[in-house]
Amino acid sequence: MLKAGKRLGVVFFPAYDWSISPTHPEREERLLYTQDQLKEEGLFDTEGVREYKPKVASREDVERVHFCFPDVDAVATRSHLISAGGAMTAAGLVMEGERDRAFALVRPPGHHAMKVVHGSRGFCNINIEAVMIEWVRENYGPKRIAVVDTDCHHGDGTQDIYWHDPDVLFISLHQDGRTLYPGTGFPRDCGGPKAMGRTVNIPLPPGTADEGFLMVMERVVMPILEDFKPELVINSAGQDNHFSDPITNMNFSAQGYARLSEMLKPDIAVLEGGYSIQGALPYVNLGICLAMAGLDYSCVREPQYDPKALAQEPRLSEYIKELCDLVPGVYFHPPAESPDGFEAKGWFVRHKDIFYDTDGINEAQTESLLLCDHCRGLVKYESRSSKNPPCLGLDLPIKACDRCRDMAYKILEESQIKGGYRYLQLINRKDRDYLRYGF
Amino acid sequence: MILGIDVGGTHTDAVAVDLGSGRIAAACKVPTDHEDLLSSIVAALTDILGQVDKASVSQLNLSTTLATNAIVQGKTEDVGLLVSAGPGIDPDNYMLCRDYHVLPGAIDHRGFETRRLDPGELDRAVAACRGHGCRVFAAVGKFSVRNPVHENAIRRQVNKSGPADFVTAGHELGGRLNFPRRIATAYFNCAVWRLYNTFADAVHEALDRLGLGHVAVNVLKADGGTSPFVLSRRLPVQSIFSGPAASVMGIIALCDINFDSIILDIGGTTTDIAVFASGAPLVEHDGIHIGSHPTLVRALKVRSIGIGGDSAVYVIGDLVRVGPNRLGPCLAAGGRHPTLTDALNCIGACAHGDVQASQQGLAAFAQERSLSREALAQKAVDFAARAIKDEVRDLVREINERPVYTIHELLEGQRIVPRKIYIMGGPAQAMRQAVFQAFSLSVEVPGEAAVANAVGAALTRITRGIELFADTEKGAMFIPALGHRENVPRTYGLKDAERDIKNQLLGHLAELGAPADASAFQITQASCFNMVKDAALSGKNIRVKCQITPGVVRTLRR
Ligand SMILES: [Zn+2]
Ligand SMILES: [Zn+2]
Repeated sequence: MLKAGKRLGVVFFPAYDWSISPTHPEREERLLYTQDQLKEEGLFDTEGVREYKPKVASREDVERVHFCFPDVDAVATRSHLISAGGAMTAAGLVMEGERDRAFALVRPPGHHAMKVVHGSRGFCNINIEAVMIEWVRENYGPKRIAVVDTDCHHGDGTQDIYWHDPDVLFISLHQDGRTLYPGTGFPRDCGGPKAMGRTVNIPLPPGTADEGFLMVMERVVMPILEDFKPELVINSAGQDNHFSDPITNMNFSAQGYARLSEMLKPDIAVLEGGYSIQGALPYVNLGICLAMAGLDYSCVREPQYDPKALAQEPRLSEYIKELCDLVPGVYFHPPAESPDGFEAKGWFVRHKDIFYDTDGINEAQTESLLLCDHCRGLVKYESRSSKNPPCLGLDLPIKACDRCRDMAYKILEESQIKGGYRYLQLINRKDRDYLRYGF
Repeated sequence: MILGIDVGGTHTDAVAVDLGSGRIAAACKVPTDHEDLLSSIVAALTDILGQVDKASVSQLNLSTTLATNAIVQGKTEDVGLLVSAGPGIDPDNYMLCRDYHVLPGAIDHRGFETRRLDPGELDRAVAACRGHGCRVFAAVGKFSVRNPVHENAIRRQVNKSGPADFVTAGHELGGRLNFPRRIATAYFNCAVWRLYNTFADAVHEALDRLGLGHVAVNVLKADGGTSPFVLSRRLPVQSIFSGPAASVMGIIALCDINFDSIILDIGGTTTDIAVFASGAPLVEHDGIHIGSHPTLVRALKVRSIGIGGDSAVYVIGDLVRVGPNRLGPCLAAGGRHPTLTDALNCIGACAHGDVQASQQGLAAFAQERSLSREALAQKAVDFAARAIKDEVRDLVREINERPVYTIHELLEGQRIVPRKIYIMGGPAQAMRQAVFQAFSLSVEVPGEAAVANAVGAALTRITRGIELFADTEKGAMFIPALGHRENVPRTYGLKDAERDIKNQLLGHLAELGAPADASAFQITQASCFNMVKDAALSGKNIRVKCQITPGVVRTLRR
């Protein structure tokens, strides 16, 4: 009998009755063959590996993270709440010590969902990792957390949410934004003024194979994690780097994904993208499950895997080597000034134009960080979109100082008196005070 | 008249039930001889035939421990186990026997052959098995329930080199996905095949001798149904662990169960717990374990806990405990250590055997521990009831926490909320009050519970569960358990699949001479997925499961 070295919980929820549209990549069929493979392998008969049912995230769980305009119900369906709830369930298993590790094998994904949400971008509505992380912090205290995003697309949503949070290290490995949606994620984008170097972007060239990914893991990701010493390591385990993925251009394999998981040893993995539902997902998901459970995965191989055809071109290897020399500096020696934004009257201000490709919404946003000597600072989001009139979001972090707190309530009061915003929302993590007006 | 025989661990129980009147026409109990099960069956039959007219008997339903015992005692036969594994978990983990050969070859989850079976390797493997004297073979492929081409090729090759006595092909065991379970199930099916068939022959001879040659014989399965003898000769593995099923089905025959309910079968050393949802027994999702090996053999969901009438009473500090050990019979039956039965005697819940022995023994036992006899007895009984309750609560929670895969089921799925308890077994009546207090639910102890297991065996109907898988892009439909494969048009849909699986199942049972009651036919799962290729619909992926629902042909009239 097989016995797992690490007790693994798998929260499997394929949402067989939900799709964005019948032929959309995010459709009912997406995890069908993955489930077939996991069942046929008898994975859940393995001693130490157990399957769990997801809980459903509540509106409060979402509003702890996001400013949803006009409200949560308008931007997130039940499927999104279950997907986020699945991630929370996975985290709960680990936090309660019931499992050593957990994998939320759920859909739809979430890593393109930003702090402010007007609709769906990149198939994502709410950021399921962020909802999970803030649920953990709410219930188990503030934590130092590392999120390693191995989806082929830049995790721009997770980056946006944690841009100003020095206690969350966000590392994203992705196909170079000059060649793929969402077009962002360059090494110079390394975090806000109070969290410089806590965002680490590693754009990889099209054609990157196992060799390149594993080199980046060994030379960039692992040394940074070793220094940051997170209390929890989370893997946004997108699987669209696979050589057979229809919407990307990489050459990563199931063996590579399994080896990556074995190196990273995530406490919690959360499925993100991955749309080669027959050729990749069954094998990649099996490989990740086995690696996370500390089991042998050496026989997990895609039928169409051809090592020769998938070998990494030498010039790519050279390029990636140089990247590995350069990127650690982002974390270890961040620049003195944040690359993006400017200072104005004690605030650090960024303007963002955000396009919601899935829903066809345009948003114009001004994000302002109150520069504070005593804490990481209050963040103010002023947003309007093709769907919503001007809205205001105020985000007060857990360790905020009194001055920042007073400022938050002052702004809230003035905005109510003056008008001008259709919706106002305050997230006060310090006192767990969550207010909404105009809804 | 239907006869039911349950060959149990200590006793073989038999009844004759008159189908017309719904009354028990005869009943008997003989000791089980584990060295010669047939003699126990013949003894029981002889007893019954002394009470009823043999010409009126039309059917015999048999629950036997034969295959179970053979496996437990290692009286099994060497099996040539040939597998085509393909990529995934290393198949070396599933080496169940000496003659285990992993052959190069692969079928994927859609049923596409992604690597051909290597004929040379297959040849060599079969020759090696034969060299070791194997005469029965199991052919098992990963995803063979999507496409059995490798299993069929293995079977052909085995028979080419001189016919094998028996070959089990994995897909015939049913359409559920689980390669390691398929391997184990096919292995055990082969390993007990000869023994089982020899026994089946002997049963037929005995029936002829007793003048019961005209009687249709069915064998009880662990899933709460029976199987025609002729089918169970090919699938002997399905007859294992049918004991608990006989008791559970007995309750159905004795009581009219409509709600979510709990069945407690309190025996000598264990209590078996079964769960009913809206009056139907719950079946284990996966299948039973044989030793440490999970299998595809479906079974009623039954949980055992080490508490029964013979369970020893202990005092540890302030705590009075019962079980899980047995230290001989109860004081009331001449034992040396007080048991739950003695405690029940002392609180006046029953008067089993020598009540005075219980009272005196328990008084002495209590005094040594500075307790009063009454307090000790009451605490022991309460402990037993509470332990059973805790186990029931865990089991129900586990059932309600079972993963589901659609939003609809997750948010609106049925939860089990037990509303009634049925107790059977020796101490049933005695435990009634304590169980009622522990659960605060209505408790019923059916009359004639003592022969409920044999009644269950007699009245249980034939069941069979099969699966259908269709892929309209490939234009194929396959029912693995029946080995039935046919081409289907691109327009084939869920409704067609549901119709086909019903016709196939009913036709199959009719062919076996065991026509099923169509009203007991039930589709248990049906799904249809759009398959998409290059952003356009390329076909439908259809999965349907159905069964003849476990149940009884009629209830007993009292
Ligand atoms: Zn992606
Ligand atoms: Zn501050």
